[in-house]
Amino acid sequence: MSGPENHARKSWVLLHVGNRRFALPAESVMELAPPVRLHNFPHTSRLIAGVIVRRGRIVPVYDVCPVLCGRESSVHRFYLIAERAFGAGNEASEASAIPVNGECELASGEMLPPQENAPPYFAGTLAIENANIDVLDLQKLVSAEINNPTAANHAELRP
Amino acid sequence: MKIATQDSAKSRRSRSTEAVILFCIGAQTFAIAADAVQEIRSTDSLATAAVEMEFAEVPKVRHLVERSHRTYYVVSGCAHFGLRVTRPTLVLILRQIRTAVLVDSIERMADVSAVHALPQAFQGEERQWYRGLIYLEDRVIPVIKPDGFLTPNEFARLDRAAKAIESRKELEGTVQA
Repeated sequence: MSGPENHARKSWVLLHVGNRRFALPAESVMELAPPVRLHNFPHTSRLIAGVIVRRGRIVPVYDVCPVLCGRESSVHRFYLIAERAFGAGNEASEASAIPVNGECELASGEMLPPQENAPPYFAGTLAIENANIDVLDLQKLVSAEINNPTAANHAELRP
Repeated sequence: MKIATQDSAKSRRSRSTEAVILFCIGAQTFAIAADAVQEIRSTDSLATAAVEMEFAEVPKVRHLVERSHRTYYVVSGCAHFGLRVTRPTLVLILRQIRTAVLVDSIERMADVSAVHALPQAFQGEERQWYRGLIYLEDRVIPVIKPDGFLTPNEFARLDRAAKAIESRKELEGTVQA
């Protein structure tokens, strides 16, 4: 996601994770996928709950509820699929899914700077319906945990 | 790997498909290229030929076997993938790599037309474990990298341990003589 100034007066997708509402830039959202089978296999990457298959593509699913809400959530049956950029530029991106409860809506508004001491994965806030809604920076949200050196610190390079 | 139906299967297979062996460790199914497997043996049939590696240089390797004048290190599939310990009944002896893998069962062979790249989201050890993923009959199955079971460093440590075992056996033989 680029800087907050680029998201002023844009469209946002509001989504529910746990009991909280968050926002993602509408241009990064690809689709709200229905409940489909979550496939899993052994791995050591944090936050990844498994993969789903959508339109012939294998899409990783990030379980962000523990990060955003501090607990597991069992009510998430749908998947919001959004582009996640890799690296500093947007030269490489990948469809990524977040489990949501299915209640998503489109809103427009001006993004304000994030609250003081907000975690780095909050790009800013939206004032909608008398509520402040945190805007997610998907890349920072998932890479904050994945890049944690403890995630794969016992992995050795193999040929 | 030689199996009875290989020739007929090969003639039906188009050039764009790849034959894989689906095998299970615990409840998890994996795939490996059929060309990467030299033979599949039962653990019972190899039991007498297996040499225990007492020093556990690499914890997931507890035995070595000699096959065709080569030493193969037997990797526990459960330990390698961090799965719940099971009782393996089969050994996949890999081709061109001095590795054999303990697995629970062979599911079947399949022809796959595409191996999807592992999503970039996966950044851990699995990047060394898997070549990619296949989508087969509503299942996503990881495709194993045959050379991902042991690192060069692990091979070097195991080779040293194997030499020590051999030297000890020779010494014991000399003393008995």
